[in-house]
Amino acid sequence: MKKNVLSLILCVAMAAGMLSGCGSTQSGSGSASSGEAMEYRELYSSEVATLNYLTTSTINEMIIPANVIDTLVETDANGNLVPSLATSWEQSDDGLTWTFHLREDAKWVDNTGKEVADVVAQDFVDAMKYILTPEYEAANAQNLFGVILNAEEYYMGATGVADENGKVWDPIDFAEVGVKAVDTYTLQYTLAKEVPYFLSSLVYILYMPANGELLEKTGANFATSAETMYYNGGYYLQEFTPQEKQVLVKNPLNWDAEHVYITKITRTYNAEADTLAPEMVKRGEVDYADIGSEILDDWLSTDETKNLVSKQRPATDYSYFYCFNFNPTFAEEYEPENWRLAVNNENFRQAMKAALNRVNPVAISEPNSPTDYIMNTITPYTFTVNADGKDFSDLDAFKDIKGKDSFDAAAAAAYKEKAMEELTAAGATFPVKALMKYNPSTTNWDKECAVVEQQVEEVLGTDFVDIIVEAGPSDSFLSQVRRSGDYAFMKCGWGADYADPETWTDPFYQAEGDMEGYKYAFLRNAIAENGASASTVQEYFNLVEKAKAITAEADKNARYDAFAEAEAYLIDHALTIPYGISISNYIAVRYNVFEGEYASCGIVPNKRYKFIKVQDAFVSMDTYDANRKAWENE
Amino acid sequence: MLRYKSKTVSKLEKQVEEHIENMSDEQLFSFAEYDRDRSEKTAYSNYSYWKSTFRAFRKNKVAVALVWVVLGILLFTLIQPFLPGQYDPNYINNDTSGLQFRNIEPCSQFWFGTNSIGQDLWARIWAGTRNSMMIGICVAMIEALIGIVVGVLWGYVRKLDWFFTEIYNILDNIPNTIILILISYIMKPGVPTLIFAMCLTRWIQMARFIRNQVLIIRDREYNLASRCVGTPTQKIITRNLLPYLVSVIMLRMALTVPEAIGNEVFITYIGLGLPTNIPSLGRLIDDGRQLMMSASLRYQLIFPTIVVSIVTISFYIIGNAFSDAADPKNHIS
Amino acid sequence: MIQYLGKRMGRSLLTLVVIVTLVFILLRLMPIEGYFENYEKLTEEQIQVGLREMGLTDPMPVQILHFYQQLLHGDLGMSRRYRSNVAVVEILKKKIPISVRLGSLSILLSLCVGLPLGTWMAGHKGKWPDKLGTVFIVFIQAVPAVVYYLFIQLYGTTLLGVPLLFDEGNIRCWILPVFSMSLGNIAYYGMWLRRYMVDESTKDYVKLATAKGVPKSRIMRNHIFRNAFVPLVQYLPTSFLNTVIGSIYIESLYSIPGMGGLLVDVIKKNDNNMVQAIVLLYATVGVIGLLLGDILMTIVDPRISFGKKGGVR
Repeated sequence: MKKNVLSLILCVAMAAGMLSGCGSTQSGSGSASSGEAMEYRELYSSEVATLNYLTTSTINEMIIPANVIDTLVETDANGNLVPSLATSWEQSDDGLTWTFHLREDAKWVDNTGKEVADVVAQDFVDAMKYILTPEYEAANAQNLFGVILNAEEYYMGATGVADENGKVWDPIDFAEVGVKAVDTYTLQYTLAKEVPYFLSSLVYILYMPANGELLEKTGANFATSAETMYYNGGYYLQEFTPQEKQVLVKNPLNWDAEHVYITKITRTYNAEADTLAPEMVKRGEVDYADIGSEILDDWLSTDETKNLVSKQRPATDYSYFYCFNFNPTFAEEYEPENWRLAVNNENFRQAMKAALNRVNPVAISEPNSPTDYIMNTITPYTFTVNADGKDFSDLDAFKDIKGKDSFDAAAAAAYKEKAMEELTAAGATFPVKALMKYNPSTTNWDKECAVVEQQVEEVLGTDFVDIIVEAGPSDSFLSQVRRSGDYAFMKCGWGADYADPETWTDPFYQAEGDMEGYKYAFLRNAIAENGASASTVQEYFNLVEKAKAITAEADKNARYDAFAEAEAYLIDHALTIPYGISISNYIAVRYNVFEGEYASCGIVPNKRYKFIKVQDAFVSMDTYDANRKAWENE
Repeated sequence: MLRYKSKTVSKLEKQVEEHIENMSDEQLFSFAEYDRDRSEKTAYSNYSYWKSTFRAFRKNKVAVALVWVVLGILLFTLIQPFLPGQYDPNYINNDTSGLQFRNIEPCSQFWFGTNSIGQDLWARIWAGTRNSMMIGICVAMIEALIGIVVGVLWGYVRKLDWFFTEIYNILDNIPNTIILILISYIMKPGVPTLIFAMCLTRWIQMARFIRNQVLIIRDREYNLASRCVGTPTQKIITRNLLPYLVSVIMLRMALTVPEAIGNEVFITYIGLGLPTNIPSLGRLIDDGRQLMMSASLRYQLIFPTIVVSIVTISFYIIGNAFSDAADPKNHIS
Repeated sequence: MIQYLGKRMGRSLLTLVVIVTLVFILLRLMPIEGYFENYEKLTEEQIQVGLREMGLTDPMPVQILHFYQQLLHGDLGMSRRYRSNVAVVEILKKKIPISVRLGSLSILLSLCVGLPLGTWMAGHKGKWPDKLGTVFIVFIQAVPAVVYYLFIQLYGTTLLGVPLLFDEGNIRCWILPVFSMSLGNIAYYGMWLRRYMVDESTKDYVKLATAKGVPKSRIMRNHIFRNAFVPLVQYLPTSFLNTVIGSIYIESLYSIPGMGGLLVDVIKKNDNNMVQAIVLLYATVGVIGLLLGDILMTIVDPRISFGKKGGVR
């Protein structure tokens, strides 16, 4: 037995030796800088469930579509809308009808790069019909409701199910929906109402075209693999092996192929990408890695790596803020009734607002310049400008807000005193228990909560407020915590859906009877219960309604001023606490992040590799700063 | 055989013979009173199973030393919070400008350094050790208790075999992760959840292990003999079987503690671990693991790993030594 | 024996049905948000339509019936959220071979190393080979796998001159994952074989053989090893399964597209059809493994019997 085993080991060892001897010698050859073959390699740790850009709404699943599908318009590196598939367009006088003239040289190709069809106006119509077909469960369908004429009527009629008011809608013909191919290369959208931000929303996946014949043929199986979709963008998807590899190859038939520089993008799946990618950057096996804040100091202080680190382009399409929950549904042990009293007291909210030093939690992810990512408004700075080119956050309504840090320990103490007096009279008990939840799968959120708990309690004293940090479920966090109101005080976020300040009222404003859970703070509850803050909330809602009513393009400044006034009111009365924008991660990358398309909303342009050139060396911090300056000055 | 008898010997013989002849019957024979204690002395007079076990165990110097190490660690985790100058494991230490002491390498203020939000690793490691050991010991006890009872019944009572085999088939084949994830959905992440989740499936492993041993031992001759004599099942189990199984059970229990810690590392790895305000070795290792590629931050991984290793090694060696000592066969030689 | 096996197989089938039904019901207890990619932005109508499409609005018994009807036709359904609208069979078909290959190689390697290790240690109980082996086993057991796997990957790749990530075509890339995966099993087999062999070596039959003058090496090989191997044999099939499931670390570190992390993934994504299929697969392998283990045990050790009548009681 022993001998047999020994010989077996020898065999295995020999085999291993032989195999290792004849292993291939290919290794990461690095990306060539010569014009012909420019390759780009990166790791990704979260696989997409589908390539179907007509049904998805997750940011991760938009990366491939952004690069393989072109839209009517696109943005340049500075966020200006420029023609893409549409060469020109006009708006009717009533502002309701938009007509687009398409370029005639756009082609559909398959996953081998072979031409299969022309891109025509009907492709946009067919794609929208697909989105509005309930059985395909397009996650974004309701974003068309109230925008495209009869979109909601068609969709609801097709479901055959009663809506929440018990109404069953009559089916209507798709021809009544406001999208029409006037001729082969002329597309017309008819809107349900005047939408000031319509043109900017065209870069979103909702308005991407799809080949009608293919949709007809594949139905629900459209875009489940590289073979079941057609491409008209800068790249086509040559290979898609889930949890293994995604290979994008430059599409020479693209109308703007001369501005697509990278010839091949190889994305390799690795669940441990956060840990491995930095190491692979050092070995030259990939061209991109996120440098987490944990290893950042080490990378910056080591000679070998300090010139490899730079940053991502700042993102202004997402905003974070701390919400006070006006509809506490959490367990008795956390005293929801007590919280209800507290949250309706403005001095209590002001005390919390003044006590929260946002620098501390932000410093966890961005230790070097945390203040760059803190905002005093909900709408991110540089998100949008009014007709005079003035930034929204610089409007008059914000003049006392923008420049002033809300953290003020002395003010917090004063508010605390007042709140204690008023709340004791109202029958509240102290300390007020404030349940704060986090999603354990979100990086650093747990640590942020720990920091906030300690920091706020130190300022206000544990005799006043007791922040209780608790982990929520990692997989159904939104529905189980945020939508159901199972929290007291928590960081929430919102991403812009279109380039108009109205998008930033969506998480707060609730129309009467609208108790949807994604209105995070359940402000309408304050009115329904007629609590101490009912009139404050009502006033905010009135301001929002007033702003929403101003729709004409000519009144843009008035509209923006009205929205600014509403937002300033929201912040002044501490109905929510502005926090900051998403932190631009430290990265190691081989291209200039400011070269690519840029948009303050709509996600898609920011994900494109078009215009980007891979360089020989990784971008250093100095180069990044220079690039950034150049970009901002443009 | 003796060819030669010396004179003195034959003289001696004669004297003895005479002496016996002169004795009375009473002197020669007397009835012995029945004495329970003395009758027991005939076999292994002073043999006590546990005494011998401990005597054998004490001979293994390394194991004895490690018992003190484990006891020392346990004791230290309990008294550490009460020592002067200790940080709270969850307290975030800020510098004078109000920002966190991030990733401070081990120094005189923070003996094991700090993590990325400025919590003292020394305090976290001891708090984590306390929590993880407690989880491990609880799991081992529950597992042993349920496992032994079920396992012995399963192996010994033939009528129950199919019943437990079916339960085993079902429990063992529902992958652990499903149970873990479902439990984390139903219950709040925390220490009781973890213990419950691990015990829910682990006891069946122990039971099956015991059952297999019983199956092997059950039909040994001495058990056959006991059965023939009519010894009740219960007595056979406690007298004949359990002592034999003690060695294996002890080894398994000793190994369960480090295994439970390993499981906790795994559960943390798949994102279902304890919340950060309950420090545990699993959480510390998972946090440290993500920093492994940066050489200067490896202290965050190395310290918890050393603690885990010491605990594991100790339990492994103690378990093995004890199971050697508990084997009755090793007592005689 | 055959009759017994027949009955046993019937029962195994029943076990499978119970497990799958149980998991089926458990999965329906999960929150419905998990069924949708972007629940937050869906309207109530879309949710209802979606649930109806998935057949989740039917009463539970109807759902179970549907499931078994499909199953009898060999249809495991479509994946929904892991990869939307792709047949489960298609997904598994690609992943199983990789895992089986990796798993078999690693089990083979661990047997080839673990068994001699255990024998060697038991044969030199208390001497340096025993101590050396113990150090190795203790090390493997003591240091968490997540830690030493990373070290092996970090330094092993440099040593062998291979890329950090796995490449199926490059055979040198197989060495480190297989080696890492088998370390735990080597320690397991080595440790338990040593334990059992030490236990066996004090038995009377060993003393008899020694007294008869049988050489020590033959006693170790023919007498002790065979007896000590009995309890381990039974573990073999299960250990294969565990190796495949447990390869989650290795697969995520090296980007190996196997089955390792699949179950965790699909449970987290509420992909019911995928979970059911994988559970069915694992349970089948598990049940067969158990049966195989028992049969192996009766073959290796004639004293153990399962027949109702034959054999000692």
